Amino acid sequence: MRLLKRGEKRRSLVRQEAERNLCRKLRRRLEASLSRSLGPDAPWVQRHVAHCPRCRKRLADLGRVDWALRIIKSQPHSLDLLKRANSCAVRMLNHKLRDGARQRRLDEAGPEPALIERCRKYENVAVNVAACIAILFLTKAGLFSSFARARTEGHQAMKQYYATQAGQDLADDIFQG
Amino acid sequence: MFDKAATYDLFWDSAACEAVEESQRWILTAMQRYGHELVTMLWRILGNEQDVCDAYQTTFVHLAHRDGGQKPRRLKAYLFRTASNTAISILRRQMAEKKVLSNVAEAPSEAADPGRDFDTKYLAESLRRHLAQLPAHLQDVIMLRDLGELSYAEVARALGISVGTARVYRCKAVQLLAAWMKTGEE
Repeated sequence: MRLLKRGEKRRSLVRQEAERNLCRKLRRRLEASLSRSLGPDAPWVQRHVAHCPRCRKRLADLGRVDWALRIIKSQPHSLDLLKRANSCAVRMLNHKLRDGARQRRLDEAGPEPALIERCRKYENVAVNVAACIAILFLTKAGLFSSFARARTEGHQAMKQYYATQAGQDLADDIFQG
Repeated sequence: MFDKAATYDLFWDSAACEAVEESQRWILTAMQRYGHELVTMLWRILGNEQDVCDAYQTTFVHLAHRDGGQKPRRLKAYLFRTASNTAISILRRQMAEKKVLSNVAEAPSEAADPGRDFDTKYLAESLRRHLAQLPAHLQDVIMLRDLGELSYAEVARALGISVGTARVYRCKAVQLLAAWMKTGEE
């Protein structure tokens, strides 16, 4: 059933297309026939023009325009013209679109202070953070533990010196704390 | 020849095309589709390759910036009308420049010379000069129909007039051109 309906639909489409083609053909023939019987090449027009100087002049003027149009149409341009035109257009298009975005940004932009001025309020915070980071870094690097070790060793060397020079008891008294 | 070259992408600067934004790619498609016809029409109107390139790129820049880059409903009509208007502007500007530079007094005597009818260059230039002076509604029709080689139906659709009106306008345009080219008056 469905196949039958589909077949009918297809047949009606083909019929419509054929009718349309016939219309087109008829129109073309009608136009050709009209231009043959009413155009400047029609025999009765030619007969009249041969005896009428005014019409001859008018026809010649119209013919001149027609001829000029034909000349313009027949003049060839160089083969790479389309390529050049396309390249120019694409380049200009890129440029314009890019500049358009930039222009929009510029239009929307207001007066703004310089970056240093904008960051000045964070100056103290930034210095404190930097100091913290430096301390952390130094701690991580083991610098403070090296200082402590150097101090202990120096303390012991001094105690040893006093012990040899002034006696152990006095050295113990001095370095008790 | 042109069709073959277009098929093999000989007319495309692919590197430049890749740089175009994704949202604007339809413009490139339009360029590829109507480019040849547009260039032919512009060449016929202007007769100078540099001017053709200028008019062509102006047309597509107009298209890209139209309504914030929105694709027009009748793309072909829009392109052809913009291109023909741009070409006419260029032609008028050139004529004004020529008028300033050349000796205007000699022009009518040159036009009256019957031997000029056989000078193809003079005839083409004369037609271009007079085309630029036609009233806009007649000019549009003759540009699109004769130089753009659009059908009357396409011309009518592009200009928003009936096919009959388009035919009448073309007829009037040719009559006016014939009268002007005969007398050389402007």
